[in-house]
Amino acid sequence: MKNILVIDDAATVRLYHCNILISAGYHTDEAINGIEALEKALTHHFDLYIVDINMPKMDGYEFLKELRSKDIPQAPAIMVSTESAKNDEMLAYNAGANLYLVKPVKPDELLSFTRILLGEGI
Amino acid sequence: MAFIKQKTQQSINEDERSAPRDFDGLCLELNHDDAQVRRWAIRDLATYTQASSTLAARLKIEDNSSVRTAILDALAKFSDDISVSALVDCLRSDEASLRNEAIEVLKSEPEQVAPIIENLLNDSDSDVRIFAVNILESLQHQNVEKWLISVINNDSHINVCATAVDLLSEVGTENAVNALENLKCRFADEPYICFTVDLALQRIRQGDH
Repeated sequence: MKNILVIDDAATVRLYHCNILISAGYHTDEAINGIEALEKALTHHFDLYIVDINMPKMDGYEFLKELRSKDIPQAPAIMVSTESAKNDEMLAYNAGANLYLVKPVKPDELLSFTRILLGEGI
Repeated sequence: MAFIKQKTQQSINEDERSAPRDFDGLCLELNHDDAQVRRWAIRDLATYTQASSTLAARLKIEDNSSVRTAILDALAKFSDDISVSALVDCLRSDEASLRNEAIEVLKSEPEQVAPIIENLLNDSDSDVRIFAVNILESLQHQNVEKWLISVINNDSHINVCATAVDLLSEVGTENAVNALENLKCRFADEPYICFTVDLALQRIRQGDH
């Protein structure tokens, strides 16, 4: 079963994303900020990361930059944010994201991109 | 090959000692090339009440994250209008780390932030409105629920409303039920809003907070 780490400081958002992914047969884990996510990423195997940008202590950009700098097997990352007007999309890709989505993400959208990034097709 | 002497801790300390530690001398050191010297200057400037505008100005150009954190900590100690204004400016920054640090500092200043929170909740920038709702999370003010209800009744931006609902699920009471149900009707085709409103209503009805 594919393992997905959902990283967001908002508990409701984590629950929403995890419910969608679990209902499609994925295993999920959660982290409330980049620091906790990095600790989990260095000690567990994940097939995909779903990363919020604005989080206290370590934001999504910092997390991805740190993750990509580590000599560990890398997995794709979907970066999600409430912001669409700023240059966040470019920053997300520069940090190492494979995809940038604006919240709120619809269930079909999340599952479609998850399957594509996991190489499962649609 | 020329021998280049590395700057040691001792030479940094010598620099620090060589500069006058009065207000003007410390202000000059904010422009020092060495980040550690700048941090020391900020630490000492935090004891001068007139330093808030100087530090607020430095915050706009400072690019070292640890020095920026020192400035934000100093501004938090001042808690005057200039400091709060500088922190609010950070909410408009393109840098996520600066925005998030400013939010955390503003959360710790309820008395200073409360008078301006309504302006922030009505800001023309939806991102600033979202950050204002984030700040409400720990503002511990009697009007928090009233402000959140106003947001979900009036704000047209889905993510501003979604952020407010997340918080209402923690602090909301029966007073918020009608507004939540109306919001769900307004965004009936948005699964996340329906999900988070149902969760908030469930928690309110269970008295789960």
